Amino acid sequence: MQIEFKVNGKSCSLDICPTMRLIDLLRDELGLTGTKEGCGEGECGACTVIIDGEAVNSCLVLAPQVRGKEIITVEGLAGDGELDSLQQKFIEHSAVECGFCTPGMLMSAKALLMKNPHPSEEEIRQALAGNLCRCSGYSKIIEAVKDVASLS
Amino acid sequence: MSAVKIDEQVAKTSGYNVIGKSVRRRDALAKVTGEAMFSTDVKLPGMLYAKVLRSPYPHAKITKIDTSKAEELPGVKAVVSVKNTPREKFNTSATMTFTVPHLDPVLDQYIFDDVVRYVGDEVAAVAAVSEEVAQQALKLIDVEYEQLPAVYDPLEAMREDSPDIHTGCHEGKNVPGDIVKIAMGDVEKGFEESDLVIEEMFKLPVQKQAQMETHAAVAQVTPEGNITVWSTTQTPHPTRMILSKVFGVPHSKIRVLNPPYVGGGFGVRIGCSGKAEPIAVALSMQAKRPVKIVYTREEDFTASDTRHGGYVWAKLGVKKDGTFHALELKGILNAGAYCSFSCEVPGVMGAMGLSVYRIPNENFVGYTAYTNTTPAGAMRGFGNPQAIFPLESVVDMAAEKLGMDSLELRLKNIMKTGDPWCLPYPCGSTGLAECIEKGAESIGWERRGKLNKPGATKVRGIGMGVGTHCSNAWPFCVDYDNAYITIEQDGSVQLATGVPDIGTGTSTSLPQLAAEVLGVDLDTVNITFGDTASTPFDIGSHASRTLYAAGTAVIAAAKDAKKQVLEYASDLLNAPAERLDIKNSTVFVAAQGLTNSCSGSGVCKVGSGERTSITMKELAAHAHLRNKQFIGVGRIVPPNSPPWEAHFAEVEVDLETGQVRVIKLAAAHDVGKAIHPAIVEGQIEGGVLQGIGYALSEEIKYNDKGRQQNYSFHNYFLPTAEDVPEIDAIIIESNDPSGPFGAKGLGETGLVPTAPAIANAVYDATGVRFKEIPLTEERVFFGLRNNKA
Repeated sequence: MQIEFKVNGKSCSLDICPTMRLIDLLRDELGLTGTKEGCGEGECGACTVIIDGEAVNSCLVLAPQVRGKEIITVEGLAGDGELDSLQQKFIEHSAVECGFCTPGMLMSAKALLMKNPHPSEEEIRQALAGNLCRCSGYSKIIEAVKDVASLS
Repeated sequence: MSAVKIDEQVAKTSGYNVIGKSVRRRDALAKVTGEAMFSTDVKLPGMLYAKVLRSPYPHAKITKIDTSKAEELPGVKAVVSVKNTPREKFNTSATMTFTVPHLDPVLDQYIFDDVVRYVGDEVAAVAAVSEEVAQQALKLIDVEYEQLPAVYDPLEAMREDSPDIHTGCHEGKNVPGDIVKIAMGDVEKGFEESDLVIEEMFKLPVQKQAQMETHAAVAQVTPEGNITVWSTTQTPHPTRMILSKVFGVPHSKIRVLNPPYVGGGFGVRIGCSGKAEPIAVALSMQAKRPVKIVYTREEDFTASDTRHGGYVWAKLGVKKDGTFHALELKGILNAGAYCSFSCEVPGVMGAMGLSVYRIPNENFVGYTAYTNTTPAGAMRGFGNPQAIFPLESVVDMAAEKLGMDSLELRLKNIMKTGDPWCLPYPCGSTGLAECIEKGAESIGWERRGKLNKPGATKVRGIGMGVGTHCSNAWPFCVDYDNAYITIEQDGSVQLATGVPDIGTGTSTSLPQLAAEVLGVDLDTVNITFGDTASTPFDIGSHASRTLYAAGTAVIAAAKDAKKQVLEYASDLLNAPAERLDIKNSTVFVAAQGLTNSCSGSGVCKVGSGERTSITMKELAAHAHLRNKQFIGVGRIVPPNSPPWEAHFAEVEVDLETGQVRVIKLAAAHDVGKAIHPAIVEGQIEGGVLQGIGYALSEEIKYNDKGRQQNYSFHNYFLPTAEDVPEIDAIIIESNDPSGPFGAKGLGETGLVPTAPAIANAVYDATGVRFKEIPLTEERVFFGLRNNKA
């Protein structure tokens, strides 16, 4: 089936199998391998992308469901060669260890900040609760997001 | 005085330029932009996708296997099983296969066997044009099983009427390899001479590493038979040795590499990543195309190593004044269906459990028993948490019986630098007393006993635990490191080391060491890592060793290169090499100091004899024009040294529901020297959270059919961002005499004393002593109720 949608600001028109998952569409068809698969059942959040402003597990979305929608992946965070402030703060805080959860963390945090630019720590923790990290203990990630949230 | 001594002197007098600073992590930019390449991202032309058929039974003989229908399915390019793969025994643990000279290697695995020993054991694998086709083909493989009796508990497995899971267990029924025994003094006499003896049994759960990237490998076999494997291994070089043994291909014709990033490890892939590497190679050899295998999360849970669960007995003898006089530890752990690290884990358990306190009479006996469950292997801590939960629980119990503050009791008995102990290397440094002091201050230890109002349904408590660990695997197993430092023709520096970066920041901290020794700008140092083709042999990233051991080799290589540079510069600067040093990428006559006026001034002409400094760039170019390059080689067998840690937990227990919430965890760690403080904090915080999971929520259980009940993140509970309490990571620097710039191991210590600190806090809150973890709501609820009754 043919579907049209936007990824990272660019229009896409693709002929896809209706049973394809969004994560496979992104990784295999579009080569956007920044989106990671950690469990395939919506528990770990490594595959989080933003669809029309909402953080979504792309392993639980079928490709036809994104018809007409706008998707942002981790590759779309930096604009015009400039890193997003979340990316900058993750680097500054060393909030990156193995890095496999990082894209999903960034996207969940981004979706939160798009709706609520100055969230409380409680709201940050809640927004990231669906993103598992096994390396960091979350502290530096939460600090990095707090730091962005405190920017004017 | 040698150049090396000058280097150290300069560092001491002027402070460090590069180390001790949280410089930007080298992997961070690639990881935040999504460009970082992991094994699961590797895609090659013509690549096929693999799926594995796994046993539905815990123990069975395969009486028939017919793969012909699967082979006929369009899109299937290869099917492998016991019928067409090497009958070469190995062990997915690199250590047991090759590097424990004092033990008889237990080689009890084939890629595929005609007996399956746990639910999830490999039966066959298919490579096809897509995962979907491969999955379909699995259903067409016709297998007939003759079910055999199964056993899931190690104590039951040792009974004479239990089934033999493997043959050749010379130490006892289903006991793989040798029984570990460690003894000092006379423990029987020690208990007789003690005024108080506490003896308890503890039960430990099966924990899972649950690294975020599941096991994966991509294998490519050339027509000449050369093999390349991209994989998630923590040990590229030893993994190559395993593949060489299994497939009969020389080491030199096999390349194992990370691409270069690995989504975590925590011990689960020391050697093979499950069996991803050998299965991918076997399929690629048959299909003559590249083959990729990525484990599902369920496969990762059910078919790759876990932490050892089991039973531990702790017996502590104490004098009236609180002096520890005798300690006996005994462990019987669950090996699961294959040996993996099951011979070494009890050794580390005993060695670490006996080394925290100064006790003249000590004894340890530890072993594992095969069962029909997922194999247990290496997980962060490697037996140490299994020793420390029991030990630190009985220490608290002794303190209560003696009417002593448990902190004071610990301070009275902890190991001091130079104390005799059971380990074959000296206790070179300890900052444990300072860890205890700083941790107590952070948690507010003096608030103990004053936290609760009568009648409260939510009660608080504070508890502590202490521990140690090692900084590498020597002399428990083979442990050596090599590093190359090449000064390129423009003066920039190429560092090559065989360790990977599994997220621990190696690719940042090792260049820091090289830049510090060489006196060059950090930005000019590049690192190649995690690739057998471009790096010298290294046993890999595990045993808390990477920074300490590989770092020692990096420093040796950098010193070697620096010596060559200074000797060469000696002629140019008309000064003996001993008087030269390098700073800011400039070689200078140390006595005259580093002048900035060199470039463009009259004294700068090379060979004039008048100049007092020369940049590395100029020097390397000068050397190049005279057919010379500086290449430093570091080849070391690392010494070993103990890191130390003290954890303090404040918890809140809901007496009505049994829920335990950690309010704060203060984790004070003697890391020797923090080369990159932010990475050190990250290691501590991450370790602590795994320790909190071990204490409160993480456990794999099996049903009566041998199936894991906790095989996904739906039912295996990792702490989330909402669960994490305040973690105060406190860095103590004891400047170890053996480690790189004083650094010691760190990677594993973060979770060693976490569980006892929490359980001791729960006791402080409730007065109920839990001898089994995790402290789930159910366990605590019934524990509190039964205690009341």
